[in-house]
Amino acid sequence: MAGQKILIVDDDLDFCEATKLILESKAYKVNLAHDGKEGLEKIRSEEPDLVILDVMMPEMNGYDVCVIMKADPGLSSIPVILLTAVNQEMFKTSFTKEMGLMTEADDYIAKPVEPEDLVEAIEALLKGEE
Amino acid sequence: MLTKPNMLVVDNDVAILNKCNSLLLSRGFQVSTAESSKEALQILEKYHRDVDIMLLSLELPGLGAMSVIEVLKKTKSKILVMAISTDCGEEAIAAIHAGAYDCIRKTFTTERFWTKIDRAVERFTLARQLEILKKQRLSILKKDSYDEDTMRTIMNTIPEGLIVTDHHERIVFYNSKVADLFGLQGDAALGLPIEKTLKNADLVSFITESMNLSRSGHSSVHQKVGSIEIEGLTMRVLINSIESDDGKTIGSVSMLQDVSQKKTMDQLKGDLVSMVSHELKAPLSALLMQLSVVLDGLAGDITTKQKDLLGKAKQRTKRMIALVNDLLDLRRIEEGKAVVEIEPLDLGEILHRSIDIMTLSSKDKNINFDVKIVENLPLFSGDRTGMEAVFVNLISNAIKYTSTGGRVQVELKKSGKDIRIKVVDNGIGIEKEDLDHVFDRFYRIKTEQTKSIGGSGLGLYIVKRIVDAHRGTIYVESKAGKGTMFIVSLPLEK
Ligand SMILES: Nc1ncnc2c1ncn2[C@@H]1O[C@H](COP(=O)(O)OP(=O)(O)OP(=O)(O)O)[C@@H](O)[C@H]1O
Ligand SMILES: [Mg+2]
Repeated sequence: MAGQKILIVDDDLDFCEATKLILESKAYKVNLAHDGKEGLEKIRSEEPDLVILDVMMPEMNGYDVCVIMKADPGLSSIPVILLTAVNQEMFKTSFTKEMGLMTEADDYIAKPVEPEDLVEAIEALLKGEE
Repeated sequence: MLTKPNMLVVDNDVAILNKCNSLLLSRGFQVSTAESSKEALQILEKYHRDVDIMLLSLELPGLGAMSVIEVLKKTKSKILVMAISTDCGEEAIAAIHAGAYDCIRKTFTTERFWTKIDRAVERFTLARQLEILKKQRLSILKKDSYDEDTMRTIMNTIPEGLIVTDHHERIVFYNSKVADLFGLQGDAALGLPIEKTLKNADLVSFITESMNLSRSGHSSVHQKVGSIEIEGLTMRVLINSIESDDGKTIGSVSMLQDVSQKKTMDQLKGDLVSMVSHELKAPLSALLMQLSVVLDGLAGDITTKQKDLLGKAKQRTKRMIALVNDLLDLRRIEEGKAVVEIEPLDLGEILHRSIDIMTLSSKDKNINFDVKIVENLPLFSGDRTGMEAVFVNLISNAIKYTSTGGRVQVELKKSGKDIRIKVVDNGIGIEKEDLDHVFDRFYRIKTEQTKSIGGSGLGLYIVKRIVDAHRGTIYVESKAGKGTMFIVSLPLEK
């Protein structure tokens, strides 16, 4: 469904800017936050339909943001995609098991990510919402 | 105490000859004299061993001094030559070049004479001492058997630690390196059991284990390798059991080698690689997105030429990402983590997913995929990450080294007690001489065809290491220009 709100929380401004443009071209409304704390505030105030969370960030890291969200009944239904620069392979095994299960993120994607793959992951989660 | 060197003075100028002779005699040297080169050569022939230093005039008539020097050189003589000449000019330089040690002027003062002679004597004595030492060393090593002291001296000079035990695991010998490491005083530890003397549980159990193994006759190679930490050092341990002629285990020899430095270096290298790789990922992620934005026209219209160039830039960026991932995989494998976690795996599902990823990135190449995955295969106990790396690398190679419109077949089935994965392409193929090397680290084939294809030569190395870690085998068959087939067999039972 077009017009859905996505919040990107990532401290890399260049990455945010480019990703925003790509998602906007797919008719999403995109907001940005650049650290974990700001991210959590905006998740509360803007009630996005989906959150893209970078793992390594100042102030509060992505895992923590995710854990807090999922523990909050008001926010726990918002799908979260965790993004990390940790090696794809490591990410898929040890991470999925330990951090992924703990944080209850809905998907996790290794950086660098192909724009198409990111869009595909978003679409899959938002479709599941309806 | 070494005796004084013997002198030979050769000069047709009798005044000089006598002067040298009396000066040398006054200090107790043995001196012979000759008035021509011919006479000098005769003396040398007869009494060669009795001449150590020769004072040789460069102004001899007839054969001349140079011929004498030549002869000395040819016979590899140890005689030191001090040239005498009026001005120590050109001919002196030539003489020194030919092997003379130094030159002294005919007009020398007594003081000058002794400065030069003393130096020559010193030089000669040094050379002789060296010679003697060399001979002594040879004679020691040539002995048929060594007495205990010699043996001990030899053992104490080696930088490695050495421990010998008997069959009751009591210490019968250790060198000074071991004494230092374990703080043992003198011979105090001799005859004591290892667990009382070697304060390192790992080492003690290594020795015990290797003796037990040898006693049980289970291992054909009675050698054990391990590593222990002691006093903040990392030591590599090599243990061999000693057997008597009738095959009984009668003791053990352990060698301890300090590998701390190597370990730190390896660690540093590895840390650097993974740090750099991770640091590169953030900028690469941004770059990939930015290029996509511009390429998709989201930042305004672009010309065909711009699109072409940016498309290539994106390709290069993706290659760099692949390299970074390879390097991280490599680091993991070299840390001994080819297998991180064993779990029952549905290889069919993993293969499906890998193919999905690959077909997505190869859609512009229009490769014809033919995938056959047998249903209901038994689960395979393996490392998920590793298996994915195997599939992705083999399939990406098949796509990479096959031209547009080619065909790639992937097959997964059970074969006897193995699960077998076959990846076949009809691409550029591999020449015979390269076939042996494709699994080598960083090996890439350089031909006209592969020139424009990017890669780091790590893929197959990683695949091989992972397959090995699962006790599997990998087989390759190829024909240049026709295509390539890789078969991986993974045993279901270990
Ligand atoms: N299917 C194939 N067909 C033809 N040549 C191949 C094939 N697979 C591998 N090779 C050759 O073997 C070499 C080593 O392959 P390998 O996968 O280790 O490295 P690479 O593909 O060059 O780089 P990367 O580390 O990115 O995988 C390649 O450079 C290529 O020349
Ligand atoms: Mg490859």
